[in-house]
Parts: sequence; C-alpha cells; structure tokens
Amino acid sequence: MRNMFADAPRTSLTAIYWAFLLYLLLPLTLMMAMSFKDANFVAFPIGEWTLDWYAKVMQDKQFLEACLYSVMIAACSTLAATTLGTWIAMLIVAEGIKGQIIIFALACLPAVVPGMISAISLRIFISTIDMPTGTAAIILGHTVHAVPFVVVMALTRLRSMPGNLVDAARDLGADSVVAFFRVTLPYLKPALVGGMIFCVLLSIDDFVRTFFLGGYRPTLPMLIFAKVQGGMSPEINAMATLVLVVTAAVGLYAEYLTRRARTR
Amino acid sequence: MQPVVQFDNVTKSYGKHVAVENLNLSIEAGKFVTLLGPSGCGKSTSLRMLGGFETPNSGRILLGGKDVTRVPPNKRNVNIVFQDYALFPHMSVAKNIAFGLELKGLDNQRIHRRVNELLELVQLQDYAKRLPSELSGGQRQRVALMRALAPDPEVLLLDEPLSALDAKLRQQMQIELKSIQEKTGKTFMFVTHDQEEALTMSDTIVVMNKGKIEQMGDPNTLYGRPGSVFVANFIGETNLLRSTVVGTEGETAALSWNGITIKAAQGGLTPKAGDHLYVVLRPEAIHCSAAEPTSGNRIKGKIRHRVFKGNHTSLSVEVGDGTMLNALVHPSDVTQLNGEDIWVGWKPETTTVIPDRHAHN
Repeated sequence: MRNMFADAPRTSLTAIYWAFLLYLLLPLTLMMAMSFKDANFVAFPIGEWTLDWYAKVMQDKQFLEACLYSVMIAACSTLAATTLGTWIAMLIVAEGIKGQIIIFALACLPAVVPGMISAISLRIFISTIDMPTGTAAIILGHTVHAVPFVVVMALTRLRSMPGNLVDAARDLGADSVVAFFRVTLPYLKPALVGGMIFCVLLSIDDFVRTFFLGGYRPTLPMLIFAKVQGGMSPEINAMATLVLVVTAAVGLYAEYLTRRARTR
Repeated sequence: MQPVVQFDNVTKSYGKHVAVENLNLSIEAGKFVTLLGPSGCGKSTSLRMLGGFETPNSGRILLGGKDVTRVPPNKRNVNIVFQDYALFPHMSVAKNIAFGLELKGLDNQRIHRRVNELLELVQLQDYAKRLPSELSGGQRQRVALMRALAPDPEVLLLDEPLSALDAKLRQQMQIELKSIQEKTGKTFMFVTHDQEEALTMSDTIVVMNKGKIEQMGDPNTLYGRPGSVFVANFIGETNLLRSTVVGTEGETAALSWNGITIKAAQGGLTPKAGDHLYVVLRPEAIHCSAAEPTSGNRIKGKIRHRVFKGNHTSLSVEVGDGTMLNALVHPSDVTQLNGEDIWVGWKPETTTVIPDRHAHN
C-alpha cells in the first residue's frame, strides 16, 4: 500500500497521458469508423460495414481534381518558400550585414500573425496590385505563410555548421557560388527536406488564406467544406480518412528525417 | 634561390588590436617551417593572410615571387589543413580528396589515380568510400592532409592540426607529418603553440610574440641559444640567472650572481663589465652531486622537491637567496643524493647568455 501512495504522482501522470491520448484519438477514430458504415447518414450504431464509400471517393472526379490542384499549389509554394527561406537564413548568418535581428523578426512574422488577418491583408494587397484571385494568389499566400518555418529550420542547421567548411571549399578552389551548392546546400539538405515536407502539409491544410484568395476551382479543404455544408455523409468521412492517413505518413517521415539530421 | 613565400612588411590590425606588426619573413621551398607562439601572437593571422582569408592593412605577401596580397583564397595555390579538419561531412573520403582536383578541372581518370596515390601514402586505401564521421581522429587528420595536398599547392599551411588528438597519437602524427613532408618535398608552414611539436618536426622555427618575430632559426639554435628571455622560457624548461658581468676572458664571461661568481659562454655577445645578462641554464645541463665538483660552476643548494618522471627525476633545488633551480637527474645518479644538501654544478659551455633588454646601465 505504501508503494502505491509513493507512486501517486507518477501514476497520475500516466493516467493524464492516457486520457490525453484518448481525447486526441477518439474523434479521429470515430470519424474513421463512420467511413466504413453501410448507410447514408453519420450516426451510431454502425450496423453493416462496407468499403463502398472509398470506392465512391476514388471515382469522384471532383475529389481527385481538388487533390491534384492542392498538390500543385503545395508544390509551387513549397519550392518558392524553400528558396526564399534558405536565402533569408543565409542572409541572417552572413557576416557584415546589419539589422540581422530585424530581418529574422520580419521573416518570422507571418508565422505568428493570425490566419484571418493575414488572409484579409493578402486579399487587400492583391486587389491593390490588380492581381486576380486564383492559383497565383493562393501560391503567393501559402508561400508567405511557409517561409518562416523554412527560415527557422535552415537557420538551426546553419548555426550548427562548422565555419571552416566553407573556408575549406574556398581554399580548395571553389568560388562562393560553387561553395554554396557543393558544401552548404548538401549540409542543409536534411533540414530543407524536413522543412519542405512541413510546407507541403501547411499548404494542403490551409483553408482561410485559400478561401480569401481562391477563385472558382476548389482545393481539397474547400471541397470538403462545401460538401459538409450540403450535409454529412460517410463519403466525407472516407475523404477525410484518406487525407489523414497520407498527411500523417508524410509528417512522420519528415520528423524522422529531421531527427536523423540532428543525430548526425 | 628565390623564397617561395615572402611576407614583406605586413601589418594586420583589428580595430586597435594589432595582430601582426611589420612582419618580414621569407620561407625557402621544401622546408618545414613552424610559426610558434602563444595564443594571440599573430601566428594564425599570418597563416590566414597567406591562405587569403584575411587581407593585410599594409605590406605585401608574395607567393612564388608573385604578389597575392589581394588574391581570393580560391585563386591562390596554397591549401590549408584546418584545426578541426573541416572535412565535408556529406562526402566520402575519396570525394573529399577529389574536391580540389575537380575544381582544377582534371579529368576523372587522373583524379582517380591521384586520389588513390594519396590514400596509399597514408595507408587509407580501404577507407575511400567511408564518410568522415566513420573515421577515427587520426584518420580524419590524414584525410584532411591529403585533401589539402591533392591539388599540389606551392605551400601547405597547417593550422594547429594536431591539437585535437590525444598525446600518443599526436607524437605518431608528428613523425608521420615530417615523413610526408620529406617524401613529397613540399613546403610546409605549420602553426602551433606547442614547442615540442615545433622542435620535433621543423627545419626552421619562427617564434612569434605580440605580432612580431621574436627569433627565427633551426630547433637546435633556438633551444641552445635563445635570443631573448621570451624564447628561452617558451622553448623547453629553463633556469634564468640574472647576473652582472664582472669581466671577460676569450669566449667566456665571468659573471656575478647573488655574490657567487659563475662563468658562461658569451654566445656571440660582447658584454662589458657592469652589463646585466641572463644566464640560460637548461635543467639537463645541471649535474647534481653530494660532493663538491672539482671544476666548472658550482653552487651549494638544498633539495626541496623530487618528482619522479620515470626516465628521470626532476629536482627543485633551492640555492642562494631562495632561487629555485630545476634540475634533471638521471635515475642512476639519484640514488647517491640522499640528503638535502647537495652541490649543483654545470659546465660554462653548456649555457648561453641573453642580454637583459630592460636594464639600463
């Protein structure tokens, strides 16, 4: 008995952990379970199980097009954000540049500005410069949002880079461009791959900015939103489950990559 | 013969701090030259200026007779072995060594041949495909050395490359470095604060202090005939006896130290009576005995400390007014020194003298 009381803090910590896990996973599990329900409305009990909803989703042209569109936007904004973010990170660690703290603060700003505010201001901005809503505007919005994450990840890696590496490359005959592409960039690679995957997820996930900047073509979150407004159906559950599985897998892989980079 | 490296009145300062002041230095081709000095003496700055990573405020640096003062590092034919090796972590050993060759535009076949040849030189053929993180400290050191040697530089610069290694490995590497230098016939410019490294490997040692050359010469000369108190203290262990010249006789000077008359070789100086000089007495030149020696300099003393060091015993002997002399005693001689009271003796020709720069007679 004495032991149980001595372990009380630990026991309660463990209990809280499991409670949190339940809280985290229960809604997701319910949502996934409903996607296998052989009936037209989302509610308990699940009498018959089926995979029909998945078959329907996979044949849903709208869904597939929205997926493709989201992936395209994610790819473009990720590429832009990674290039910009890496460049800004290089600028921040470079010698002899003034106001590096200000550059850093500005670069990180989009990560902390509330999504709604940033979406509205971007909307106002594009209409000021007469840019139409649509693909380009969405890519612009997503890029701005993703840059801070690339900057922070690239910066962390750059700061752990031995200063002599670039010197050694220069010493062996590389000019600064060659030194960047052959030494700095490969050194940054694990952080950048992790950062890029993060950018992709951010972009695919983004609703608010896309909503304000988008045209008539729906991205995946917009499509699901529109469908939900038309009433819940297990078909939506199946879509969401697919998205969840894919993004979780990609996210875990990104985490694995950054971890491996840290231990090297 | 034209020197391969020339520092011509080179000064480098950072704000008010003068790192290198009016440095004039010529290095002959094929020599192992060491810049030796305490941290902050300007040795690393000099090396980085020659490498192209720092630009002097004034003066010129010549490499093979050509002015390279303002040439960027990638355009000069010198290579550096960095203190922490700076191997490219994402490249294999072979790729690291090939890096400089690729940038020189050599074709793959020649690169391959050269890399193998260099790996063979340090017996690392089996490690070509490994990453630097999979090598031991000594192996990384060798790879860094070969990477810098690969493009066939006019001078190889080594920036305290052994300081990260443990004592035993460091001694091995000293011998290996020297033998590689002799095999390749390259000019090595080595920077260190470790006098033992300098003495072991160098053809010429340049002792630096506060941005200036204190003395330059071969290891024997620097050890046997230090030109200043700084050099005497920095290289090896020394007893310095501040004495006043009483008279001279041929090559020998008679000096008075704490009322005791001692003799010393003049070492090229021409002292006059009344001059103040330091007598440089190396611990191994001292002969300790129970009985009074019949010739040479001798002082009565008391043993204060004995430190057994294996192949010798180090004695601290108090003499005269309380000055401690450090003496090395051979194990076979130590047994007869039972008591406290002993005689410290040495031959005048085993010492040298240094002028006391701060004295004004």
